[in-house]
Amino acid sequence: MSQPAASRLAWLSRRLVLLLAFLVAAYPLIWMVLTACRTEQDARRHPFALLFTPTMASFRTVLSSGLFGKAYLNSALVALAGVALAVTFAAFAAFAFAHCRFRGRQLLFLLFLLGMMVPVHVTLIPLNRLLGPEILGLKGTLWALIGPYVGFALPISILILRGAFEAVPKELMEAARMDGCTAWGVFRHVGLPLVRPALATVTIFNLLTMWNEFAFALVLVDGKNATLPLAISQFQGENATDITLICAALAVSVLPLLAVYFVAQKHIIRGLTAGALKQ
Amino acid sequence: MKHGRFTPFLFLLPALAIYAIFVLLPIGESFRLSLFHWSSPLAEPRFCGLANFTDLMQDRVFWWALYHNALLIGLSLAIQLPVACGLALLLSRPICGRGLLRTALFAPMVMPTAAIAALWLFIYQPGDGLLTQLIRIVRPDFDYGWLGVPSHAMFWVFLTICWRYTGFHLVLFLAGISAIPTQLYEAARIDGAGEWSQARHITLPLLKPTLAVAATLSIIGSLKYFDLVYLMAAGVPEESRELLATYVYRLAFEGFSGRFGYGSAAAVSLLLVALGVVIPLQTRRRVATEEDA
Repeated sequence: MSQPAASRLAWLSRRLVLLLAFLVAAYPLIWMVLTACRTEQDARRHPFALLFTPTMASFRTVLSSGLFGKAYLNSALVALAGVALAVTFAAFAAFAFAHCRFRGRQLLFLLFLLGMMVPVHVTLIPLNRLLGPEILGLKGTLWALIGPYVGFALPISILILRGAFEAVPKELMEAARMDGCTAWGVFRHVGLPLVRPALATVTIFNLLTMWNEFAFALVLVDGKNATLPLAISQFQGENATDITLICAALAVSVLPLLAVYFVAQKHIIRGLTAGALKQ
Repeated sequence: MKHGRFTPFLFLLPALAIYAIFVLLPIGESFRLSLFHWSSPLAEPRFCGLANFTDLMQDRVFWWALYHNALLIGLSLAIQLPVACGLALLLSRPICGRGLLRTALFAPMVMPTAAIAALWLFIYQPGDGLLTQLIRIVRPDFDYGWLGVPSHAMFWVFLTICWRYTGFHLVLFLAGISAIPTQLYEAARIDGAGEWSQARHITLPLLKPTLAVAATLSIIGSLKYFDLVYLMAAGVPEESRELLATYVYRLAFEGFSGRFGYGSAAAVSLLLVALGVVIPLQTRRRVATEEDA
């Protein structure tokens, strides 16, 4: 083969491989949206057709069930409350780890790091009892999720925020102290404004993790208080054979999220990878 | 910073309290419960020493679950990482549609696993599922059970897991590649090195730290894994569908089993396996990063 022909072959195969990768990644999602707009018969007979008469019937059924509206609300409630608590408490702790000297500092920090290596499923049985009717009595309600979500969000959040607080120059804090700031004032007015990018990373990471969390929700929450992932899985179980209905339900539950992702993908990709990288 | 004696503890108190109640205490409780014979939620727990663990050693399903965790690790390292790394190499130089491809590949990372599972159950559906229909375009008499084939179910679930995480690893590799100084490539080009040998002799060797990070993350993730395996592999016999985490869940919560004691023993085993693998890996990684710094 001559040199130009070989390089043309390389040019072409590189593009073909990338096109294939794009189709594998994106086609299931495209197919999902198209199927949601088909009639049941069309969906079975011509699953790949790109030209067809769309129908919104499945969407109407899904939306009128009210299941997903409530699930959205539940997920938003849990994720927002969980993130607010986790980020606040993690910021307090990270500040202390970065700028205070006290006995047992290293040990306590290691104890928090340990939490990142513990599979959450190890705690399912004890948490089921702790939150159950005999002790805390929260099981079944959305409140049951907050404690475990915050508890397991803390280690990674503290780790990321500690790094950010450590990068704040010590002299700045000392100067504020000299000028009569309390430790709280230093945290609130000097430290916090300077770690904003890290706060954003931690917020995004935890928001998505809590929004999508499945195992705790499965054990700790009743069907009628389902979060979005739980509602999807219930709906799928009840209508397993109705392909257009489930695709409509999936579209309703992931398209808004994907829209947010397309708009803010730079921040979301950074948040998710930074969170994972630190682990 | 100067501070009062109790200041750090006031800052630490809320985080520590929640962490102790919802993470540390339950872990301790798992260890305690694993020593009890407690076969249903209605029965009274009865101390039984290490009997749960000796039972676990005889439990076929437990060993299969452990094997599946190992399989997940092996497949991630052998398939998922090379695919992500290869795509990153193909994308490393400017090409039309690069951003779009990255966006599309990363998109499954933000989706709830429950939605991914529901979608892929249709893709793998025997008879008129998407994959079967796709293959029937070239082979009209094709028929296959996909997730219904016990010995293969875990592999098909693994492919879905790949679908979710490849974009994530791609982003890691792209970041690693963009950190390589461009002068190296310029020098190589002047010396007459082609694209292939540039990739082989510059990019890949300098990507080693990124590869190590990606491999560590894959191993940790595979040990803890639960969601897609639980959601997708329910239809096959229990030897073919469990990871350690799904087995813990099913022992304790599925149907009316409620085997909290035995389930806790399985949970403790999961914890010990995870820590036994992760702590050496993480220590090595942290030591390595500090040496780099």
